[in-house]
Amino acid sequence: MTFDDVLTLLAAASITLGLSVAGIALGLPIGLGLALLRSARLPVLDQAIAALVSLVRAAPIVTLALFVFFVLPEAGLELAPIPAAVVTLTLNTAAFDCEIFRAGLAAFPRDQLEAASAYGLRPATRFRRIVLPQLWRASLGPLVSEMTIVLKGTPAVAVIGVVEITRAAGRIGAQTYEPLPPFLAATVLYTALIAVLVRGQRFAEARIARRYGYAVS
Amino acid sequence: MRIDSLEHRPGSGFRDDGRRAAPDASPDAPAVSARRICKAYGGTEVLRDIDLDVAPGETVCILGPSGSGKSTFLRCLNWLEEPSSGTVLLDGQPIGRLPGRDGRPRPMNARELAAARTRVSMVFQHFALWPHLTALGNVVEAPVHVLGRPRSEALAEGRRLLERVGLAERADAYPHTLSGGQKQRVAISRALAMRPKLLLFAEPTSALDPEMVGEVLAVMRDLARGGQTMIVVTHEMAFAREVADRIVFLDGGRVVETGTPDAFFTRPHTERAQRFLARYAR
Repeated sequence: MTFDDVLTLLAAASITLGLSVAGIALGLPIGLGLALLRSARLPVLDQAIAALVSLVRAAPIVTLALFVFFVLPEAGLELAPIPAAVVTLTLNTAAFDCEIFRAGLAAFPRDQLEAASAYGLRPATRFRRIVLPQLWRASLGPLVSEMTIVLKGTPAVAVIGVVEITRAAGRIGAQTYEPLPPFLAATVLYTALIAVLVRGQRFAEARIARRYGYAVS
Repeated sequence: MRIDSLEHRPGSGFRDDGRRAAPDASPDAPAVSARRICKAYGGTEVLRDIDLDVAPGETVCILGPSGSGKSTFLRCLNWLEEPSSGTVLLDGQPIGRLPGRDGRPRPMNARELAAARTRVSMVFQHFALWPHLTALGNVVEAPVHVLGRPRSEALAEGRRLLERVGLAERADAYPHTLSGGQKQRVAISRALAMRPKLLLFAEPTSALDPEMVGEVLAVMRDLARGGQTMIVVTHEMAFAREVADRIVFLDGGRVVETGTPDAFFTRPHTERAQRFLARYAR
């Protein structure tokens, strides 16, 4: 493996990281929004979101990527590989985030909500001031777990021509006939990225436990 | 059930004169005026035609066996429970339902209900503090984010209120570090911070260890003496006898007996109340 190959892998790692960050950053608010819409139990919308979320959760990321890249243009939405990859990962993680937030909302202590209502907090204020600060803390573990899954799901978008870590490693291995070094390097890169996420989670959880005294899952 | 045609039936409450339900608050409007409150869950009636007027400055204790409907009734007063029928006026103003365009009552929207609730504070059996906020943070939350008071002002008043309940040094503590009695005293400060016309206590000492009951009751006694209008659902008979201006005894979702603590505890005139008190005398 030459120095150029290392640079190629690092460039691919930045693609992996960029795609993951974009997907996670877009997926979180969308997932939260969907969970809130579902918790409002609006007649038709509720079933529609439930069906959509189930569909996206069931679809492998590869399938979803092919759908976004090849089928959406039929509906007039033509996307370059990178934006299509971001859309794919966003859709996928939003669906899972929705379920995580929904579980958090369902488990939220009723007495706290009641106290907030009794003191005149309107629904939006109540959500912003009482629910959200606790919801994200309680959901932190499952959310980080989902983030690592997104990161590890990025090789799936190679199918629409995005060169991320695994794809780059495969190419290098094919050119040099020595697959071990590039795939070893790829594994190290994934491990490093995920370690950063998990470290961040541990740090945040320790702070939360120290300050507020409630355990987070 | 029109709000402007409320009938005050004789003997139904305190100081009835039939003109208390005026739409705007007047200095002598009852702090709360509940009329014909009924509540049914499915086919089960838990409250049947309860009337209650509480004058400003009065302390009313609601007593009754478990399942008598006393907590449900209290929760109807701030509309945490929606009565099946009946009206509640807080300081002369309706809560929960308003006269609609056609004269028939319509439910309040979220904004109207939130506004109506700023006149009444509640202290809960299980404290219901917000765990992500400090003691002081809990106290100033609603004044700042509901009433729009300047934060600095609310913080200063919040510290005074915590001092009043003996928790000045715990202002920056998070709820999980406080004892049950301390939590409930923070909850009382939170209630007072709204400067409510009416303070509702839903079994405030029932979840406390016995040695912490006293510190909470002491704070409540001070409030009652200070002229705070209070309705207290409790099982603390000694407290009710000492502090209440009036006892309301519920059983089976009805007001069975009402009177001064002295009359109620020494010569209850209903057999139900006699039986209830006999259990506590033992």
